[in-house]
Amino acid sequence: MTVLELREVKRHFGGVKAVDGVSLKVASGQVTGLIGPNGSGKSTLVNLIAGVLAVGDGDITLDGKSLIKLTADEVARCGVARTFQNIRLLPEASVLDNVVIGFYRHERSPLYASLLGLPSSRRETRELREQGRALLARFGLAEYEQVPAGGLAYGYQRRVEMARAVASAPQVLLLDEPVAGMNDVEARSLGQIFAQLAREGMAVLVIEHNTRFVAELCSQVHVLDGGRLIAHGSPQEVMRDPAVVAAYLGG
Amino acid sequence: MLTQQILNGLISGAIYALFALGFNLIFGVQKVLNLAHGAIFMSGAFIAYYGVIGGLPLGLALLIAMVSCGCVSVLLDRFGFQLLRKYSHADAEFGAMVISIGAGQVLTSLAQKASDTKVLSFPFGTFPVEFFRGLGLRISLLQITIALLVVVLVALLAYFLQRTSFGRQVRAVAINPRASALLGINSRSVFSITFFIAGAMAAIAGVMIALSFNSIQFMMGEPYMLKAFVVVVLGGLGNLAGAVVASLLLGIAQAMAAAYLPPGMADILIFATLFVVLIFKPNGLFGGGLAPAGVGRQ
Amino acid sequence: MMEFLRANQPVFDFFLLTLGFAYSQQVVLRAGVFSLASAAFSCLGAYGCAYLVVKAGLPVAAGVGLGTLIGGLASYLVSLPLARLRGVYQAIATLALVELMVALALYAEPITGGAVGFNNIPKHVGTTELLIAVLVVIYLLHAQSISRIGRGFDALRQDEYVAASLGVSSRREHTLAFISSGLIGGLFGALQSMYAYNVEPNQYGFGYMVTTLAAIVLGGRRSLLGPILGSAIMILLPEVARPLAEYRQIVVGVILMIVVVLTPQGLADTFLAWLQHRRARALAPMATQPPGGRA
Repeated sequence: MTVLELREVKRHFGGVKAVDGVSLKVASGQVTGLIGPNGSGKSTLVNLIAGVLAVGDGDITLDGKSLIKLTADEVARCGVARTFQNIRLLPEASVLDNVVIGFYRHERSPLYASLLGLPSSRRETRELREQGRALLARFGLAEYEQVPAGGLAYGYQRRVEMARAVASAPQVLLLDEPVAGMNDVEARSLGQIFAQLAREGMAVLVIEHNTRFVAELCSQVHVLDGGRLIAHGSPQEVMRDPAVVAAYLGG
Repeated sequence: MLTQQILNGLISGAIYALFALGFNLIFGVQKVLNLAHGAIFMSGAFIAYYGVIGGLPLGLALLIAMVSCGCVSVLLDRFGFQLLRKYSHADAEFGAMVISIGAGQVLTSLAQKASDTKVLSFPFGTFPVEFFRGLGLRISLLQITIALLVVVLVALLAYFLQRTSFGRQVRAVAINPRASALLGINSRSVFSITFFIAGAMAAIAGVMIALSFNSIQFMMGEPYMLKAFVVVVLGGLGNLAGAVVASLLLGIAQAMAAAYLPPGMADILIFATLFVVLIFKPNGLFGGGLAPAGVGRQ
Repeated sequence: MMEFLRANQPVFDFFLLTLGFAYSQQVVLRAGVFSLASAAFSCLGAYGCAYLVVKAGLPVAAGVGLGTLIGGLASYLVSLPLARLRGVYQAIATLALVELMVALALYAEPITGGAVGFNNIPKHVGTTELLIAVLVVIYLLHAQSISRIGRGFDALRQDEYVAASLGVSSRREHTLAFISSGLIGGLFGALQSMYAYNVEPNQYGFGYMVTTLAAIVLGGRRSLLGPILGSAIMILLPEVARPLAEYRQIVVGVILMIVVVLTPQGLADTFLAWLQHRRARALAPMATQPPGGRA
């Protein structure tokens, strides 16, 4: 059982209270959703968890271990993977290479083996490429293995990013607007993968704009507005909450 | 004596300021290091020299040098830096540096050919040699002229940037190019104007140095390029007022080092200082501007 | 045949040295570090080796080995403060370092011989040694590039945010890149001092930087083939275009500008990427229609 917990997390930028005392839990076994209108602080929150932004106040823990003093790469090595709102792939690298880099934190070859090109290091590289191919197949990307990632259509790029995040076998998966710009068919098939990953033991947090997608997929939904949580519960409860309706429709 | 050194240092600092301001202006607006700036500075001196040799009065030769160097600068932008903008940030940064090195090489080699690798001097009488004494100090007419010219130019530049609408556009593009484009500011013309101004100022600086030392040679730009780095970093990359202050300080420091320290030591201290400042205060002594750092907990 | 080889041996030697320096410069750029400091490491390697062999009487192999290590140590020390800078700030800091090294070499006359240089070094190194050194370096760099380290470098160079999100420590990888650059630079600096009869400060200044950068710009920042192609062009240009020899500097400058605008990644890298594109396109047409129709 993995739990990512935020306790009264705050972050201000000058006078703007981007995140103003947010507390929530993301547990394995289910998909948790985070929704909110534009500017509510969703992306700031993701960057706070992922180690890109410094936390002003409060704490973020993974299974009890505090993450707020760790840098982004250290947070990643603790088992937190993330995707980016504007897809960030390595543009020059092939699709396969993009996924193989996802295995980085699990690679076992010692430094000297890598530097000297010892057989053990070469073998590990071969094995990783095989595992990468298997992952590509799972995401329906097998035939695009050699294609430079920058040249793919948007939907496929999203899948590559997902495959890369899954490759790192994280305990926590932060998905920042994973289905933005996709049609329903694509979104649903991706959603099924998220649900599967949650069942396999990941703590999955989906930050999304697409409320219908979140309602279908998530068992727990939190609503953010102006840096604060204004509602949380099951999708049905949250969608009926007058405060939520007001936030989305009102000024 | 000390105050004389300080005076001499202030004057050479004023010339550094002219050179560094142009370099800094380009960096502020386009975020590129124009490593050809030193070669442009040298070209200004060369063009003025040939003008004077050809019989033109110094003032006119200087004007021609200013305009020519401004134009060369603009060409470098239009056919160099601008063409790189379509590439990724890292590629564009690296490419810009390489392009400016290449352009600098071309200009330097042309000058080398033209001058036959010789050191040239302005003919005697190009600028009147007169000295004034007062308060125990000695100052030449040239030094006074330089000081006045620099003060006027810096004031003009400040006025241009702060008070004219075009100057405001330049500052807007420096702060946020994307937003400026959305506001309808034509960044291409902003870039061209800044490159022109930078080139013209470099030309003036080049002529003044050439007059001060009465020597013009094809490699004269290189040491100034390096001093410009020091000044621009100390004052803060993109910070124009900081560049002026840092230039004056550098001028004074150099004059004192030349007088009191063994030769060669001055350069060592200057570059060591540059390195140290970059490590601890990459935004310069006065702050301002953002030095990009690695990813993590900003 | 033997006549041809013998006549062109100096050119080949010069090519090997240039190639070594280019690799030293390339390895940091490959990791996304905007450093031009390899000149400084070569300078230390050259003077260190020359001093140890000529003045301290050490055998040549020891001199070269220690020169290499001096370069490596210097690069490690330099990587510590430079870790916090990026982009042009890093570039300027490394330029300052190179100039500092030249200024020190000019100043420390008793050790380095000052502006006159360190002269009358007996020639201990020839084509064989240079070739062996280059081949060893190519093997090690290749091993590095297909390993975890190389993957980390490529990720950092292309997108530091992505790399961090996957657990790549920029501090660790950048330090490794610097040390590699220092060791290779020190090695070839030391070899050059044992080959060229003398060492002088301006050898490792702006001119060195322009030549190595040109080799990398022409060839590429990523592939090992790049510096080979780039160095070959730089060396062969004055030989092939003899009528243009007088204008060599100008031609180099113009070529640099054209190449970097048309192929900012370098000729070799761009060609290799194009090959990869072609192969990929043959295997699977570009996906333009997402499944299920447009959103």
